[in-house]
Amino acid sequence: MCKRAVLLTVVIILVVVGLLPVLVMFAKTLVTDGHFSFASYKALFSSGRQWVLLWHTLALSSLTTVLATLIGLPLGILLARTDLPLRRTLAVLFVIPLLIPPYVTAVSWFHILGREGFLSQLLGPAVGARTSGWLFGLPGCVLVLFSTFLPIVILLTMTYLKTVSPHLEEAGKLVGKWPRVLRQITVRLIMPGVLLGAMLVFLLSMGEFGVPTFLRYSVFPVESFTQFSAFYNFEAATAATIPLGVITLGLLAVERIFLRSKTYQLRPAGTDHQFPRIDLGSGRLWLFAIVSVLSFLIVVLPLLALVIESFSLSAFRGAFSRAGDSLVRSLTYAAIGASLLAIVGFFCGYLIHTRSLPLWRGVDSLTIFLFALPSTVIGIGLTTLWNRPSTNLIYATPVIIIFGYLAQYTALTSRITVTSLAQIPPSMEEAAQTAGAAWLRRTGFIIAPLAKRGLIAGWIVGFIFCLRDTGISMMVYPPGHDTFPVRIFTLMANGPPSLIAALCVTLVAATLLPLGILGFAFRQIRSHK
Amino acid sequence: MSAVRFESVTKSYSGRPAVENVSLIVEKGERLTILGPSGCGKTTLLRLLAGFLTPDKGSILIDGELVARDGRNLRPAEERKLGMVFQDLALWPHLSVRGNLEFGLKARGLPRLQRRKRILEILRLVQMEASANSRIQELSGGQQQRVALARAIVLRPKALLMDEPLSNLDYDLNLRSREAILRLHGELGFTLLYVTHDRDEAFHIGTRVVVMRHGAVDRIGTPEEIREHFQQVSL
Repeated sequence: MCKRAVLLTVVIILVVVGLLPVLVMFAKTLVTDGHFSFASYKALFSSGRQWVLLWHTLALSSLTTVLATLIGLPLGILLARTDLPLRRTLAVLFVIPLLIPPYVTAVSWFHILGREGFLSQLLGPAVGARTSGWLFGLPGCVLVLFSTFLPIVILLTMTYLKTVSPHLEEAGKLVGKWPRVLRQITVRLIMPGVLLGAMLVFLLSMGEFGVPTFLRYSVFPVESFTQFSAFYNFEAATAATIPLGVITLGLLAVERIFLRSKTYQLRPAGTDHQFPRIDLGSGRLWLFAIVSVLSFLIVVLPLLALVIESFSLSAFRGAFSRAGDSLVRSLTYAAIGASLLAIVGFFCGYLIHTRSLPLWRGVDSLTIFLFALPSTVIGIGLTTLWNRPSTNLIYATPVIIIFGYLAQYTALTSRITVTSLAQIPPSMEEAAQTAGAAWLRRTGFIIAPLAKRGLIAGWIVGFIFCLRDTGISMMVYPPGHDTFPVRIFTLMANGPPSLIAALCVTLVAATLLPLGILGFAFRQIRSHK
Repeated sequence: MSAVRFESVTKSYSGRPAVENVSLIVEKGERLTILGPSGCGKTTLLRLLAGFLTPDKGSILIDGELVARDGRNLRPAEERKLGMVFQDLALWPHLSVRGNLEFGLKARGLPRLQRRKRILEILRLVQMEASANSRIQELSGGQQQRVALARAIVLRPKALLMDEPLSNLDYDLNLRSREAILRLHGELGFTLLYVTHDRDEAFHIGTRVVVMRHGAVDRIGTPEEIREHFQQVSL
């Protein structure tokens, strides 16, 4: 009874913070002047501009996806399975852009390729003008989003590689060399993971609005945000989100139908068998050089540009005086958001893993749908539902931001929980049940401690995503409660470049420092044990 | 009154019967072994009794009390007051030996002093009193086996269920563990339902042996009767 009540409460929370806002927003698009009408959709499809926006949006998402997949897949294999030097360091380096708001990376590239950027100072204004023209547009957007979302494909490739039984590759090795084994066995087996990664990159690129806004490339999320925030035109803003919602829904349906059934359960998690390490032979140093140069170009160089641009005490002093309050707020909201995400995600993950309620599949689909849905859609949905005098306690306070975090990021903590629960034998809970422990006691004293790694990982991932969040916070923050990324974004319009760079460096440090400290602490504890 | 009673119990998975129309009575203090090849339904029968599965048809009674009937679990697993030793032992690695034993006693609301006394008694019985504060990972396979047994009997269960608990042990340790189970049964007199695919183990431990085939009870008898039957069949 208690189990049912807790799990149903979590489902209701998800529905209230995520599904209901989107449904109410969608319902509103079907009402014009108090009557049922398709007027918003007629306007949407009759306007030539919408088709341009659609083309831009699809071009940006498709190019980013193709590039990230083509480079991410071999990189994932190189980093996970070969004797490439410094594999771990390189893997950590490649992940960094995913941890910071994508527009920060765009700002970094602006300092390199902009009209007065480092390249212009080095090679002359003519080169600067050309690179600036290139940066502000589709190529620049693709470059930034590619480096931001590349880690998704790399990480999924590395994770799925761990599920391939080494015996399958060893059997292949008896009749062929590594390139053939990789091509014909390994890559085919991990293809569902790679395609999942590609789909996520596509959806996240499609929903990104910070980078196209900064680099002035018109796509649906930018249009929606502009209509909503600058012109207060709710109908136009909502109409611009509908194609995004439809594409998201369509892609997720494809994933559900085709990819889920093709996921191979090849090797149970936690099996100790060692993977055969691929010997790169004479190509080892060449490949190391190529991967190092790539990581330098897409990770180190942009960060370096930011640090150099911000390199003055006055810039940091200015940054703290103009945005110190929002930094403290951001850290607080991120900590609260991460804690709630860890709790809600844990119970959601438990529900999905144990299939305790018949609607577990619906909950799984809902969290993934909300994660893939562009933040502008969730932001407008939340505003539509909660912006009324009777609900000011939510809409006019930071609670609305936390609602947004829960709506968009529960999929992350829920998926992490599912993965860690899958590694706990069901007999662990059954033994506690036979011992007479009720569900809450079993969960609190047996399951949660056994899944503590997943819980901690979920909290950290939740913290990072809440801290870097721009889309939802930008759409719903109440006056006086803007977060640090939102403050930077608004200051970008008229703040001096050194101040913006200092703010971005502070944001990167605020994200990476706790991670570094936690990583160091875990390593110490492990070595102590 | 019987300790456990199955009445025409049927359980299917996706339309395929795993247990079909099984009726069985286990008397108090009896050692009943359920013998059969993989997939014959013996573990399903045990899990139905434990409360992890619900019978599609039929009834299950423990100590005369109806706990499940026709697709309904009337008593959840945590309220059936049974003890169970799992095939993988399922010892909680984040708790010490004492913690593993104390968990169930706490859940049942026993006062601290009584808990301590009972844990000490049982650990002494399984000759593990020196390892009370050890972590599970520090113990050998045989010691873990004894802790799992101690954890199940410390609760003084209405019946002890054992699901192939010795299948992962080498022959010597398997023999010693059987002796330990028999010794404990002699001292405490609990009702035992023991599932195994090993004939030798089944004949050694059981006072009565149930042979299962294709989800149904094929034969019931004393170890001698069943052994004789197998010998005749093989001839």
